[in-house]
Amino acid sequence: MKEHIAAALDAATLAGATYADARVVETRHERLSVRTGHVEGIETGESLGIGIRTIADGAWGFAATSDLTPDGIAHTARQAVALARAAAITASSPVSLTPVGRFTDTWSGACAIDPFTVSLDDKLALLLLADDVLRAEDKVRVTTASMGFIAVRKVFGSTEGSLIEQSYVESQAGIAAFAIGDGEMLPRSYPNNLGGQAVQGGWEAILALDLPGNAPRVAEQAAALLSAAPCPSGETTVIIDGSQVALQVHESIGHPTELDRVLGDEAAFAGTSWVGIPDLGTLRYGSEHVTVTSDATIPGSIGSFGYDDEGVPAQRDRLITNGILTGFQTSRESAREIGRASNGCMRADGWQRQPLIRMTTVSLEPGDWSFDDLIADTDDGIYIETNNSWSIDDKRLNFQFGCEIGWEIKGGTLGRMIKSPNYTGVTPQFWGSCDAVCNRDHWQVWGIPNCGKGEPMQVAHVAHGAAPTRFRNVRVGVAR
Amino acid sequence: MNRSLDDVRCIADRAAHAVPADAAEAIVLSHYSALTRFAGNRIHQNVAESDAQVSIRAVLGSRTGVASTNRLDEESIARCAKAAADAARHAPRDADFPGLPHPKQLSIPTRAPLLLDAYGPQERAEAAREILDQSAARGLVAAGTVSVNDTITAVANTHGVDAAMHTDDLRVTVLSMNGPNASGWASYYGRDARGFLPAQIGSHAATIAERSEGAVELAPGTYTVVLAPEAVADLLDFLGYLGFGAKAFAEGSSFLIDALGSRVVDPRISIYDDALSPATVGISFDYEGQPRRRTPLIEGGIAVGPVTDSYFAALLDRDNTGHALPAPNPYGPLPLNLEMAAGDTSVEDMIASVDHGVYVTRFHYVNVEDPMKVVLTGMTRDGTFMIENGRLTKPVRNLRFTQGVLSAFSSVGAIGSQRQLCGAEESAVLAPALLLERWAFTGQTG
Repeated sequence: MKEHIAAALDAATLAGATYADARVVETRHERLSVRTGHVEGIETGESLGIGIRTIADGAWGFAATSDLTPDGIAHTARQAVALARAAAITASSPVSLTPVGRFTDTWSGACAIDPFTVSLDDKLALLLLADDVLRAEDKVRVTTASMGFIAVRKVFGSTEGSLIEQSYVESQAGIAAFAIGDGEMLPRSYPNNLGGQAVQGGWEAILALDLPGNAPRVAEQAAALLSAAPCPSGETTVIIDGSQVALQVHESIGHPTELDRVLGDEAAFAGTSWVGIPDLGTLRYGSEHVTVTSDATIPGSIGSFGYDDEGVPAQRDRLITNGILTGFQTSRESAREIGRASNGCMRADGWQRQPLIRMTTVSLEPGDWSFDDLIADTDDGIYIETNNSWSIDDKRLNFQFGCEIGWEIKGGTLGRMIKSPNYTGVTPQFWGSCDAVCNRDHWQVWGIPNCGKGEPMQVAHVAHGAAPTRFRNVRVGVAR
Repeated sequence: MNRSLDDVRCIADRAAHAVPADAAEAIVLSHYSALTRFAGNRIHQNVAESDAQVSIRAVLGSRTGVASTNRLDEESIARCAKAAADAARHAPRDADFPGLPHPKQLSIPTRAPLLLDAYGPQERAEAAREILDQSAARGLVAAGTVSVNDTITAVANTHGVDAAMHTDDLRVTVLSMNGPNASGWASYYGRDARGFLPAQIGSHAATIAERSEGAVELAPGTYTVVLAPEAVADLLDFLGYLGFGAKAFAEGSSFLIDALGSRVVDPRISIYDDALSPATVGISFDYEGQPRRRTPLIEGGIAVGPVTDSYFAALLDRDNTGHALPAPNPYGPLPLNLEMAAGDTSVEDMIASVDHGVYVTRFHYVNVEDPMKVVLTGMTRDGTFMIENGRLTKPVRNLRFTQGVLSAFSSVGAIGSQRQLCGAEESAVLAPALLLERWAFTGQTG
């Protein structure tokens, strides 16, 4: 891999690049899925290629190829320089990067049991067992049990002298039961929707989820949802479980504090942001209970790494401090706009794509409530769990989320079950209404391996630490 | 690396026959794409990528396994073939698996690659500059893309399926921003670059942005709406995904299970999937190498049926409509080239017929609230206007809708006479504008 990096950087330099970096990325994946008693898919795969990013005539160019012959790499490097020169015809000022150290280093994520050494038979047996338990409920008509693994090895090098090798393994698994009846399909999943929980780690993480052990509860709740009460419509107090708070953080804090969005670079696709650079240090984003960090150093999180894809070391930074906006997620180019160094958030979707600012582990820091005390402290409201639908506007202000399940709260006690609860709000008012966050005992990092951004589309693996959190005066039951 | 159609076809055939199994199928996608992206009135990303990937499905009796690689040398393909066979060996038997399909007559248009040479880095940058100039000259800020995609798809199996086709397309998007709260949009998608006039598309977006200044609030409620084609395309995309796949039908999670042969929307509405239409950019066979054909989903307001692949055609005892996705996948067969039949009303006449309503240029971040009732939520963006006494009047701040598609399509006032090809992430939708009498807006950007 390192010889490919050297060849790419030399070719880019000879073609006229004033800066270049290159990443060789090799991935291996395996996915298994069971659906309603059938093995839906057993799939393995691999990918290898190089992405070369250059600055020439003051503009960016990027080209990528799976042709790793010397000619293929040289051609791609020259192509990247040609793309930069073409882009320069509209440049008003040359690209300028904040300084970064020169690193020669290796980094690897923790993985106790390499999942690629575990037999397919063992993996399928676990999934088929969980799926079998899910199907014990008559009203559950469709079930899924799945797991997936990815091993990544990548080498980054730049004309500034860095040479960084990183490797890690990610594992994901989950189950879901779908009850169908009377024109409704109601899902219940564990430990999260859309394939479950994703972590940096190995087979030990899959075993820790205990999918078969959780399947009876999941199936029972799915079946019960068919006869559960509809979500009430109106304004009420809402306590949201950690997995849904994670997505709420993702959509209404993570994305709007990406500095490329703030600067308008994503405007035509995903949108811009409701916050601006002048808001830094002054804007009240939420209540005093809202402190949010961006942290690429949390062990086991799929948002963690040693260095980002610009060669910037992993960091922990505060985005919101006691409700006040105190930081953005940045790159070497964008950080200059706020007079800071990059906090290391540039990542690319494989070798094929140019790095963009992506979330690492963006977390709502824990408060000091126990979950039982928080319920007991709530006279009237609803408690909701597990995302089922998400939508937010192009400035990340107006959002609407649907969840799988909820329960009424009356007089400090959880009451009857609610099906398909949803809620809507506007970002600063919503976070301003946050008056309690559960403590670290209830806080965990939730992996989100499907974050889409950029054109061409890139899918990033990001994460969010969150605990059950309470919000007041929330509009629930939209169109219910 | 440039590969010819024959090269890619040979790789697929070689891969399918390299598998130590009873039968096998190989899909090869050889792809080049280039995208010039602009924002803040300058090009900020200019990228290109080249890759080729083979995906092999091995069959042992009724057991299947899949492996893929982007290393196309003999040794790597042999390793991939063995991995697919190993996966199949571990899979349980599937009594419903009908076997890989046999070859059928294909009608494959010969399409010379048109766009790569016409839209190289310099040409894309020049087009971007022409677009940007339209906004910059009016004190506006533009963002968007000019991109070309060039793909050769080949499918082969050991029963003799041997399909290969070259496709390319040009996609252009333009957002023009007039301050933080006003914007306009225009786009182009297709194979015929003659339809793309950079200055014209840049001007169109800028004009909407200028008219969007000073947006007013509008109380949420039920309104008559005129939806531009891109907004209609989003609804059709979700309707196809949620309602017309054979897997959802077989599992009982589609509205279609109780609606086959019944009237589900206004009788003026007909919806087809047609990859063969010259107006679209699809390939004429599916990922099992089976012929695609014009498939009615809704005709005259009546639900006709789901799209199928070989597995679900056998399971449901229906014809194979040629809508297989690459195996394995969690979705089953899906319609990827939807179109709604055109009506007879111009957008201008639709607007002129509305006393009090809302015009929507496009939606943003649409998602599912209720899959079986096809209830969606999403936001408007980039040009939402009041319609008053038959005219576009005040711009409106972006609105959230929560609305059932079938019920909306049951309140059709008029269907547009002109259609636009609109690009989704994995599909293309040929959509007219629609006048809908009842549309539920449930919130507004704060």
